[in-house]
Amino acid sequence: MAETLFEARDLSRIFEPARGALQQLSDRITGKQPAVVRAVDKVTLSVVEGETLGIVGESGCGKSTLARMITGILPVSGGERRYRGEDYVSFLARKRDALKVQMVFQDPMSSLNPRLKVGEIIGEAAALHRVVPRARVRDHVVEMLERVGLPADTITRYPHQFSGGQRQRIGIARALAVKPELLVCDEAVAALDVSVQAQIINLLMDIRQDSGLSMIFISHDLGLIRHLCDRVAVMYLGRVVELARTEELFANPVHPYTQMLLAGMPRISVERRAFMPIVGEIPSPLHPPSGCHFHPRCSSASGHCSRIRPELSEWTPGHMQACINAG
Amino acid sequence: MNRAALTEFAGRFGESRIGVASLAVTLTFLICALLAPLISPTDPYDLSRLQLIDALKPMGSHQVVPGEEFRASFAVEDGVAVAQGDAHGLAAQSCGDACLEVRLDAETPLASLQVRTLPAGASVEGASKHPVQNWWTVNTPAGNSVRIVSDAPLPETFNFSVIARSDDQPTDLVFHLGTDGFGRDMLSAILYGIRISVFVGVVAAGSAMVIGTGLGLFAAWRGGATDALIMRAVDFMLSFPAILVGLAILAVLGSGVGKVILAVVLVQWCYYARTSRSLALSELNKEYVEAARGLRLPAWRIMARHVLPNCMPQIIVLFTLNIAAAISLESSLSFLGVGLPLTQPSLGMLIANGYEYIFSQKYWISFGPGIVLLVMIVAMNLLGDRLRDVTNPRFER
Repeated sequence: MAETLFEARDLSRIFEPARGALQQLSDRITGKQPAVVRAVDKVTLSVVEGETLGIVGESGCGKSTLARMITGILPVSGGERRYRGEDYVSFLARKRDALKVQMVFQDPMSSLNPRLKVGEIIGEAAALHRVVPRARVRDHVVEMLERVGLPADTITRYPHQFSGGQRQRIGIARALAVKPELLVCDEAVAALDVSVQAQIINLLMDIRQDSGLSMIFISHDLGLIRHLCDRVAVMYLGRVVELARTEELFANPVHPYTQMLLAGMPRISVERRAFMPIVGEIPSPLHPPSGCHFHPRCSSASGHCSRIRPELSEWTPGHMQACINAG
Repeated sequence: MNRAALTEFAGRFGESRIGVASLAVTLTFLICALLAPLISPTDPYDLSRLQLIDALKPMGSHQVVPGEEFRASFAVEDGVAVAQGDAHGLAAQSCGDACLEVRLDAETPLASLQVRTLPAGASVEGASKHPVQNWWTVNTPAGNSVRIVSDAPLPETFNFSVIARSDDQPTDLVFHLGTDGFGRDMLSAILYGIRISVFVGVVAAGSAMVIGTGLGLFAAWRGGATDALIMRAVDFMLSFPAILVGLAILAVLGSGVGKVILAVVLVQWCYYARTSRSLALSELNKEYVEAARGLRLPAWRIMARHVLPNCMPQIIVLFTLNIAAAISLESSLSFLGVGLPLTQPSLGMLIANGYEYIFSQKYWISFGPGIVLLVMIVAMNLLGDRLRDVTNPRFER
């Protein structure tokens, strides 16, 4: 059995609205709780070595916040993160080890510093943290560029001279240059054309195969998730509602939200099919529904659903889900 | 910025004639400031070279070497005049009965020659006598000589003294812009004034930029109480008029170049702090900063190498505008008499000096520095506006 690389337990992130001193005082006197956004609400998940975990959900469900907490860019409001069993507090303190978790960003336009040359963008951290000896940094950068399919003369050019796909390759090379073990791809292809998407996906799969990299692949595209991932977590409004192996999830979705997502997925084989759209809009995270967040849009909701907060529990071995009416 | 972007920037800048003209004027003044000691006709700081005879001369007049004065006293014994002590080239000899010729052997023509204390009955040919004293003065004596004559024969023994004054000599040096009340060449004073004003403006605006931008970035990075503290200090400073802050500081500290710079820095740092904070806050939200955090780069490095360069274009625009503001503040303070010392006049002080004479038709003392200051500040403001237009992402052509 492969070692567990990354583990999150009850991970939460709360965004509080800015309040003036007077407002804080009056809230304290009246005992009013300020309205907070629970962007990520007690998420528990893990990644084993060599595995690719998919995280899927609608926009605004907290995927990107989760990704930034996993990579240590954002602090957590609650819960704990572990890397190879070590708590993140000590893990992140050792800068060079903390490089083992890297991220590929969504927007290739804003994720590269426009004032730095590509060589500096890719080589800066590797040189600063002595991932490779100073003298070898340039060779290392060229090597990374080759690995993502860019010519060596890219080094002296600026990000604005490249297309979206090429920029995303540069972003991947930047992450790979510090020799990570876990790569978090946050909607890494969402901003690209479909043809370029395929190239980047193939590149990621090649890299995964060559180096045995573990990946967390975040997307709203079910087709991509199915193509790339070993296990999938489905998120709804900051909570994980179902977590299973890919084949299992796509074959036997248990949670009504997952079922509806899959039903809405376009397929080539079916000729005439009635789409079953999910009713209504995703609710505002400032005022989430009580109990199960999904109950106002759920076709099989019962009276309990608005009162009981459902916990993720094992449905079949390896298949977790969070619907109290399932089964 | 790389070469291609720079070329494009220059091309866009060049689209406006006003922009190019203001750049040319600003550069001309900068060169004047740098080369002032080389190109100015005189050194206005060298007080020993000033002469009051040159004071308040209108535009286009020549510098003058003032006339010299030669004094000698003679004793006449038995009809022969003998100089007592150094004669300075003056000589007296007999020219017949009751006649004594006094002459100066020199090329320069004399403005006047005066003979004092003649014996009774004697007089000087063609001379006018002092109304009271026994002094005889001949203006522009022909051949630099005068004759002492008498109706009766001159006494055998008597003493007299001679004072010869030579003419003022104009030199080749022309005061193109006239002179001020100290006899300073206004052109030189203006060139040195530009130098002082530009120096104070650039150093003060530059120091304010470094301090203000640093504080702004620090506030943006730390947020919370630090941010609130720095920004409230900015609000506090911005609520006072610049000239009032400058006056207050110089009233406490006294005048001097360093103190004026300090006053300008205290006035201006808050503009940079506010601008750089807001720019940095918007940059900090971009994904490349998150990427830098993910790469575990130290905070100072992220701010200095990633955030700051992306804020620089707007800060440089502010810098250009603030140099002009610093120069005008310094000139205002100098005009009010609390800025720079009298011996190192800036443009503002030159204007203030000329202001005393403006109602006696000595207009040139104030006009020259005033026009130079006006053109310089207008040009720098236009340049700053143009730079702001070009660096604005929503630049419309």
